[in-house]
Amino acid sequence: MVVARRRWFQIPWEFKESALFTAVSVIAGFVIQYAASGRGIAAPHLPFNAIALSLFAIVVISTGLTLRNTSIVKWLGGIPLGLCLILAVAILSLIGGVVPQQAVAKNSITGLLGLNQIFSSWPFAVTVLLFLANLGISLSWKFIPFKLKNLQFILFHAGFWIALSCAIVGSFDLQRLVVPINVGKANNLGYTMESEAPQNLPFSIFLHDFSLEEYPPQLLLYDPNNDKLLMDKSQAIIQVRKGTTGTWKGIDVVVLDYIPFAVPGKNGVPEPADRATGIPFAKVRISSDLSTREAWISTGSPMIKPDAAQLGNLYLIMVPGTPKSFRSAITIKDEHGHETMANLEVNHPVSFMGWKLYQMGYDEKAGRWSRMSLIEVIHDPWLPAVYLGFFMIMAGNILFFWNGIKRSGVE
Amino acid sequence: MINDFNTAAILAMACWAIGTLLSLFALRTPAMKLPGFLLSIAGSVIMAGFIGMYWVALDRPPLRTLGETRLWYAALIPLVGFLVEYRWKIGWLKYYCMALAAFFLGINMLHPDVFDKTLMPALQSPWFVPHVVVYLVGYVLLAASSVTALHNVYLQLRSKGNHTGESVSHFLALLGFVFLSFGLIFGALWAKEAWGHYWTWDPKETWAFLSWLAYLGYLHAFRYKIDQSKLQWYLALAFVVLLVCWFGVNYLPSAQNSVHTYTQS
Repeated sequence: MVVARRRWFQIPWEFKESALFTAVSVIAGFVIQYAASGRGIAAPHLPFNAIALSLFAIVVISTGLTLRNTSIVKWLGGIPLGLCLILAVAILSLIGGVVPQQAVAKNSITGLLGLNQIFSSWPFAVTVLLFLANLGISLSWKFIPFKLKNLQFILFHAGFWIALSCAIVGSFDLQRLVVPINVGKANNLGYTMESEAPQNLPFSIFLHDFSLEEYPPQLLLYDPNNDKLLMDKSQAIIQVRKGTTGTWKGIDVVVLDYIPFAVPGKNGVPEPADRATGIPFAKVRISSDLSTREAWISTGSPMIKPDAAQLGNLYLIMVPGTPKSFRSAITIKDEHGHETMANLEVNHPVSFMGWKLYQMGYDEKAGRWSRMSLIEVIHDPWLPAVYLGFFMIMAGNILFFWNGIKRSGVE
Repeated sequence: MINDFNTAAILAMACWAIGTLLSLFALRTPAMKLPGFLLSIAGSVIMAGFIGMYWVALDRPPLRTLGETRLWYAALIPLVGFLVEYRWKIGWLKYYCMALAAFFLGINMLHPDVFDKTLMPALQSPWFVPHVVVYLVGYVLLAASSVTALHNVYLQLRSKGNHTGESVSHFLALLGFVFLSFGLIFGALWAKEAWGHYWTWDPKETWAFLSWLAYLGYLHAFRYKIDQSKLQWYLALAFVVLLVCWFGVNYLPSAQNSVHTYTQS
């Protein structure tokens, strides 16, 4: 219980002192940010960041252990400071969750205080550093003397410490590059989001083929006067197949025939064609109160004009389906003769000599006919450490859950 | 499919309504207890059955749109009410839960979802179902925790002590936090496979992190033995952060850069 009418800085320190300390630290962070006028934090790379992080961990843990009986260290590793720092991280994250994180004018308030890049700003760095110190000291007390009942605490908190610190320190070593490649060509140049000058990769990627599969095309009723698509009665996206029906106010549509790949033929009747040249065609019967008629409609392509059916002021149109999957057939090669062939697809990255390759995009204007693939290549040497942290957090959580269930009986 | 939904929703709501009435009668006539319970459960079973049918009809897990997540919410949240009654012998929570479930179905009836079978390539992953379902269970538990805390606040204002109620809101928050943590990490592991990096401070991620911090803060305050009755306010309000994360993010200025807003059809 907190003693009534505690004086400021009366030992042991509590929430008041923690809140003041945290507020001063965050404000100091903003002052540094302002003074550095938007320049980011100097970023040490491997092995220096790893050495610095290890030294920091050693200092924190040995401080926690050797000075554990001093009131200042007790406070530094205590829950009141921890809670205030959690709140500070939360407030800074709130700024990051509301203010768009994008480039702004350098001399605006947002830019000067780094609010538009809060997660790489000085106040965030200072808060996280203190947070890691607080967490590290409290961890040291649970390490020694070790008791089995501390296992859940250690797994969760040490996991969080490792994941957070390695993710932040490791971000300096993270390389993310986008490699555009045309079919039948190789490329070993990657582009970052920040600069237009390409960087050399330690390997080259050859693109054999790019292919994209679409969902079936959709049938839509378009009102050009209001530039609106009208939703059919059943509130469904109508995927075109033989026999598909759609109903709008006073209009019934049935798909009588559907050819997924065809080209315009004589007398308005399309002729089946191969995948590379053909586009979807559908023969529809349109019935309204006044008349019934049949027409061929198509989605069109970069080479072929689309066909729509006019219904008074409205148009029945067919649009290409959204992409279902797209993939690049590639060969990756480095100077030392390592070579891998792979099919790259979204959600199915491929690893190569410490790099991971991702299917990122393609020429969206050309859609299914794109002859270009965008491949993202990523090198993140700190990933195993971050994942170790994740798995420790999850293990700690399972114990937490188990103990929670066990202890939750209320007499 | 829209007609099937309306039928299922009305049936489920009817089950919950009659189940509630019977359970209230059971306070006087204990014989009504079992039929009341069975009918209340039947409401969730109907919704679960509908989700199953919808899944088959869509050829994909019905977890893509906000409306689809509300279906799961409606099926799951009454179960938490029954669980609490079974575990802690607290009967009133299930009524709130069933009312909340009916409310979510009501939103879906007023704003029918578009029946759309497509699933963008990034969502075609084995992580899709575990990530979203774990989050849904977390939200369901934390919603129940928040409702319980609100009830506790109400009792406090009428100066009635309520130790059991405070334990219930605490343990629901604890279990909910565990699910939030799993959801967050599953999301990170999936993001690495789909987008190339496990954490990019996308607005949705930021808000998920904020919600997690809110409950992390609660657990530490509880651990420090801060007055439990004061923490009921905290728990009641913490859910607001979750609501922002769940659908409020879409309306924030930061959302324009998000890759993570639910598809708005």
